[in-house]
Amino acid sequence: MSKISSASAKPASAAAASPKLDARLVREIATMLSESDLTEIEVEKGDLRIRVARQTTIVASAPAQAYAPAPAAVTVAAAHAVLPEALVVDEHNAADILKSPMVGTVYLRPSPDAKAFIEIGAHVSSGQKVLLIEAMKTFNDIVAHKSGAVTAILVEDGQPVEYGQPLFVIV
Amino acid sequence: MFEKILIANRGEIALRILRAAKELGIATVAVHSTVDSEAMHVKLADESVCIGPAPARESYLNIPALLAACEITGADAVHPGYGFLSENAKFAEILADHDIGFIGPKPEHIRIMGDKIEAKRTVLALGIPCVPGSPGAVTDDDEAMKIALEIGFPVLVKAAAGGGGRGMKVARTPEDLSEALTMARTESKAAFGDDSVYLEKYLEKPRHIEIQILGDGRGQALHIGERDCSLQRRHQKVLEETPSPALNQDERARIGEICAEAMRKLRYSGAGTIEFLYENGEFYFIEMNTRIQVEHPITEMISGLDLVVEQIKIASGAPLAYTQADIELRGHAIECRINAEHPATFRPSPGKILYYHPPGGVGVRVDSAVYQGYVIPPNYDSLVGKLIVQGRTRNEALMRLRRALDEFIVDGIDTTLPLFRTLVRNSDIQDGAYDIHWLEHFLAGGGMDNPTG
Repeated sequence: MSKISSASAKPASAAAASPKLDARLVREIATMLSESDLTEIEVEKGDLRIRVARQTTIVASAPAQAYAPAPAAVTVAAAHAVLPEALVVDEHNAADILKSPMVGTVYLRPSPDAKAFIEIGAHVSSGQKVLLIEAMKTFNDIVAHKSGAVTAILVEDGQPVEYGQPLFVIV
Repeated sequence: MFEKILIANRGEIALRILRAAKELGIATVAVHSTVDSEAMHVKLADESVCIGPAPARESYLNIPALLAACEITGADAVHPGYGFLSENAKFAEILADHDIGFIGPKPEHIRIMGDKIEAKRTVLALGIPCVPGSPGAVTDDDEAMKIALEIGFPVLVKAAAGGGGRGMKVARTPEDLSEALTMARTESKAAFGDDSVYLEKYLEKPRHIEIQILGDGRGQALHIGERDCSLQRRHQKVLEETPSPALNQDERARIGEICAEAMRKLRYSGAGTIEFLYENGEFYFIEMNTRIQVEHPITEMISGLDLVVEQIKIASGAPLAYTQADIELRGHAIECRINAEHPATFRPSPGKILYYHPPGGVGVRVDSAVYQGYVIPPNYDSLVGKLIVQGRTRNEALMRLRRALDEFIVDGIDTTLPLFRTLVRNSDIQDGAYDIHWLEHFLAGGGMDNPTG
């Protein structure tokens, strides 16, 4: 019985390789990745090693499909088949993504008739209230984790969210 | 009946509950922490919700997150499994306040049994035997002698303020008592600043025997025999079997009926286990667990019942579907708790399972939530799975266990499989001649220096 030292002994990126070779190759591999069902492709040639991977953790903790209001059973296949959306998330820098700190229901506006707190394109400052998450009849203010422009809103008004689910992209 | 059950647990018991719910046609919601997103119960559940980060305090013990998960999924009942919130009376009350079913007993019974003193007082009044001792602190030596002769030697002199073995002395004969009292008082004074001591009957080589009960909450209750869980290491059960090699049919029926009758009087609801120390034909109450237990499958194997299904039915308000006369126990069952630990040093061994091959064949059951490629996270308990075997006789069960253990392969991490391969070949185990100290002595004596397998 052998012990495994670390699950991720491989380098996480191809940062060390020469830039002109990289861009084209990485783009090609990324295209292959998105055209296939694979979650990871690793290419090694001489000293150069390139690994392109999808954020499978984000896939797993992903969107509304996981608890759609429909009583019908949501199969595992369906829950894991949300790759296009996952790729959307993957395009963003992890540091730009505001994640849900709790389980609950998202509200993008203070009341049903009111204007949304934030529209796409708006500038927010760190600590500014951007949405509400309701849990157990309590509305919790969710604030921007950084200052910047809101480039994407990944949830809909009234949508249930789980812990760690991406909400906004602030660049 | 419930329509959707949220399983507030992880690992093999989450999968166990999921299986029961599916067989009842009830939808399932798995909850998980961020490190458990690839867990089997998450993959197999109809829906899943990530409720928090890895630390249990912020996920599996996070009551607001669990309630929010019920809310967004529309779950109408929660099964707490074992550990985590399973014996948290407040959680059961909060769920009731939100009109969500708690698949477990009434909060008041969880509370009583969670308090050592209150539990003992309650079960004594219900007719369950407890360890005899002095009613309170003993100050006078003559009084102490009178009590000691009543409960019988050997007696244990214990510091009233004590704990962790300090201020404890054994008096084996009346001649020893005076010295034991003096020493316990001195130690107790030094350690706790209080020299009051009390007396308790001392059990030298007890077995751990527990009775499985089911109650409907309205005054009906029955017992489903016993489990012998004497093989323990650091108070953790390692191997369990039923029936106990130490009990005969009359003893089983007597203690079982005492427990069932106590649960009728208490109007206990759901599954529960009353744990005893057993020595020289006498039972002494330790505690009652108001939840499903890890070792419940051996009872299922010899009774043919599905205890989790029964829990769900009872919690939904159904009456007991059986009477005591319907309970028929057949054959013998043994369970081994396979942990991700080194088999001799018991050092935890989390990590990735590179190869997994569970045993099969007649009379073999494996309750586990791992799979090939699964990574056992370091954040929770080390249970890889439970191997349960059943045979028509104890000997058949032992031979089947030996065969199944030899088939079981878990590569990539250390497991306690070699410990069990050694134990199943040990003559004391084969003879059923073990008590609660046996395994510790066996290990201390180098029993695992040359393990089998």
